[in-house]
Amino acid sequence: MADKFISERNLKFLINEVFDAPSLLQFPRYSHHTPEVFDMVIDTAMKMGRDLLKPSFEEMDKNPPRFEAGAVKVHPSVKRLMKECGEGGWISAVASLEVGGQQLPFTVGLIPTFVFSAANYSASNYPGLNMGAAHLIESFGSQEQKDTYIPLLFSGAWQGTMALTEPQAGSSVGDITTTASPTDKDYYLIRGQKIFISAADHDCVDNVVNLMLARIEGAPPGLKGISLFIVPKKRFDNDGNLVPNDLAILGIYHKMGYRGCPITQLSLGDNGDCRGWLVGEPNRGLYYMLQMMNEARLVVGMNAAAIASAAYYACLQYTRERPQGRPITSKDPSAPQIPIIEHADIKRMLLFQRAVIEGSLGLLFQCTVYSDLMLAHEGDEREKYSLLLDLLTPVAKTYPAEMAIHSVSQALQCLGGYGYCDEFPIEQHYRDTRIHPIHEGTTGIQALTLLGRNVVMKNGKALTLFLDEVEGAIKKAGARPELAAHAAQLKKAVEKLKEVIGHLVGIATGGNIDLFLADATLFMEFFGVIAVAWQWLLQALAAQSALAKGASPSDEDFYTGKMYAFRYFFAYELPKTEGMAQRLLTIDDLTLSMKPDYFSD
Amino acid sequence: MNSAVILKQVPDTEALIKVKPDGTGIVKEGVKFVINPYDEFGVEEALKKKEAAGSGEVTIVSIGPDRSVESIRTALAMGADKGVLLKIGEDEYSDALATAKALAEELKGKDYKIIFCGKQAIDDDMAQIGPMVAELMGLPCVTVVTKVDVSGDKAVCSREIEGGKEIVEVALPAVISCQKGLNEPRYASLPGIMKAKKKPLDIKDTKLDAPKATIDKWENPPQRAAGRIIEGDDAAAKAAALVKALRQEAKVI
Ligand SMILES: Cc1cc2nc3c(=O)[nH]c(=O)nc-3n(C[C@H](O)[C@H](O)[C@H](O)COP(=O)(O)OP(=O)(O)OC[C@H]3O[C@@H](n4cnc5c(N)ncnc54)[C@H](O)[C@@H]3O)c2cc1C
Repeated sequence: MADKFISERNLKFLINEVFDAPSLLQFPRYSHHTPEVFDMVIDTAMKMGRDLLKPSFEEMDKNPPRFEAGAVKVHPSVKRLMKECGEGGWISAVASLEVGGQQLPFTVGLIPTFVFSAANYSASNYPGLNMGAAHLIESFGSQEQKDTYIPLLFSGAWQGTMALTEPQAGSSVGDITTTASPTDKDYYLIRGQKIFISAADHDCVDNVVNLMLARIEGAPPGLKGISLFIVPKKRFDNDGNLVPNDLAILGIYHKMGYRGCPITQLSLGDNGDCRGWLVGEPNRGLYYMLQMMNEARLVVGMNAAAIASAAYYACLQYTRERPQGRPITSKDPSAPQIPIIEHADIKRMLLFQRAVIEGSLGLLFQCTVYSDLMLAHEGDEREKYSLLLDLLTPVAKTYPAEMAIHSVSQALQCLGGYGYCDEFPIEQHYRDTRIHPIHEGTTGIQALTLLGRNVVMKNGKALTLFLDEVEGAIKKAGARPELAAHAAQLKKAVEKLKEVIGHLVGIATGGNIDLFLADATLFMEFFGVIAVAWQWLLQALAAQSALAKGASPSDEDFYTGKMYAFRYFFAYELPKTEGMAQRLLTIDDLTLSMKPDYFSD
Repeated sequence: MNSAVILKQVPDTEALIKVKPDGTGIVKEGVKFVINPYDEFGVEEALKKKEAAGSGEVTIVSIGPDRSVESIRTALAMGADKGVLLKIGEDEYSDALATAKALAEELKGKDYKIIFCGKQAIDDDMAQIGPMVAELMGLPCVTVVTKVDVSGDKAVCSREIEGGKEIVEVALPAVISCQKGLNEPRYASLPGIMKAKKKPLDIKDTKLDAPKATIDKWENPPQRAAGRIIEGDDAAAKAAALVKALRQEAKVI
């Protein structure tokens, strides 16, 4: 048990008992699978996580990528990992059958990502990036592009990347200046600079293919003039040999955490010969990329929950083994010290971690289920799931991303001074998880999307659907005596949510958009806690049903522990929304009126 | 080249094992079961040999309760072609000889060039099945093997022996028991997992002969006594006290 990093039991609880993933098999899209396939996916992922990724977790942090003679060298284990994930079909797990994927439901296909990132977050990214890059080409590329690139990405022979960011264009993607000049051939000539591009060069693959945003010469300014290109590091010449594509690596950044995976600075077209192939139609690039980024955002949420899970299990083991102090009421100084897990305050920190991790996972699987149902339906039903997914994606990215930092911090706290030292893995988890509120759209940007766009889109249709879902769960829980009080508590919080939204939308319709969005991030936090409370209620319903049916002794411990974590969330986390609502319901331009000059001294 | 692999499902090496209060066995509830790691080397080697030969079938044969199906399926997902479960009840137990007899009965009369098995099962550590099956089938047996080269009707095997290696040539068919170092078992692939469910898996209700050797009781190892910290004013005094304790109390020096 020494190196537990996730709970397989909890994964199975979520996908089988809470979300009934096997019911997805009724849809033609997934009917070629069976429940045993799902179990074996989890089993194999666990094994690979433990044997293939975990052993290099610390090493990859201590020996980060090096930039030498214009090229990046990474930890050699990446080569084997890419090969195994390629040959094993893990990169293509959720891709459609037509392009050689296995068409697993996202709900199951994302489990390896979760397991791998708990075992070794940096390593898990290399194959993860290929999933995203291949999916973009699958969704929007030409047949020739699919035939050329997808097999190489699926096999792990090549590395895929997402190349958006430029020095002057981070959150503000509309400001990118990398240009694409049309030629009389089938390609464009690309010129510009990209920074922070994950894994855009390394020595464990034969080549890299960047899915890059650029602006075709003469395109309209801003978001409407961005196109998507395939820009490989080396391109095929007429004889099918790989030759350099005038793409130079200028350097890598030295990061706080997530050190096993390089982020690179690229210079494109220094010699006027960097070729890029347009994906889909001109000026549609951002739209394409956003589809992909929504998936990537769920992956980031998963990654955050995964790191917090690994930290939790390292911490749990320590709290069982570290004797320190005596029961508060013990008067005998010569009595042996007790393991710290017996102190109420340690239990509080452990429960907090579970409340965050398992609550986050619930929300994430809820989103993957919506995504699976969306793909399995047509028409109105499809729109319903699509709207729910759209609404919740920024929340399912941000709640885990932000809260994992607190969760890992509490894990570290349980180890006292040892947690701060690198003999234990938690300080690394702490550094590793800090990236998540930054990449794939910062928390600030997610919050603007949630409040400024998603909550009000289609006249609040997505929001109405969401409230229906939550109210459905409240109703079910309300009918069970042991959950009725919690159901009522969540109902109250949902009423507050409606009140807050009404208030904020009122400000917007009054024309004060700046004020409407000034506290978007606080609104995101508020919304996130309520969404996760809903998920906890669903988990409590499933746990109660199982307990009512009569569970085996080890299952009884599991469900009872589950109920404690659920009660913790409702007792300690959900009440925080009251304070947030109080702030959100005021009309006060405090941050807006604060002037940059006032910050100086 | 056709071969068979004898496979046992055992508790995961990482599982927390508890002995039942009455000492009649271990608590299986809540325990995760996996392919015996040494048998997994057997599966991998059988697949390698089949791939090298370019043809043939790998058959997995297991004795155990229903749940053993999962482990057979895992081997099928790794690439084996078919499976046979000789099904017994969850708590049905017999001794190694009765188990080996049932296996030999199932394995005989097929044209397996090699029957692979693990050098031992990590749950009860008896290390008897392979040699017994060989004996019952009248086949030669090479144990604790770390390398197998097949050429024609012979195989040259490396065995681990104290302080070195022994190279053994054996006529085929033969039983070969596998040791760590033989290979690195592959992971089940996702396409393999999907194919596995369509591969034949024959479940045969099986009654084992009554055991001639029975297990009377299972016990936990004795609890380790708490350590003691030697007190003393300085290193020299502590060293002296330690020597005294080792000589007079522990009587080890
Ligand atoms: C480890 C790592 C890996 C990365 N991988 C990739 C990759 O593979 N591909 C890629 O393209 N990029 C990648 N990035 C870049 C990443 O997506 C950007 O760092 C991120 O989008 C933020 O951009 P920025 O760093 O320029 O910060 P800025 O955009 O300058 O943001 C700074 C702060 O200002 C806030 N802010 C900015 N604009 C607004 C606004 N309009 N309203 C309110 N607040 C605002 C932000 O929320 C943030 O808090 C990576 C970055 C890192 C650190």
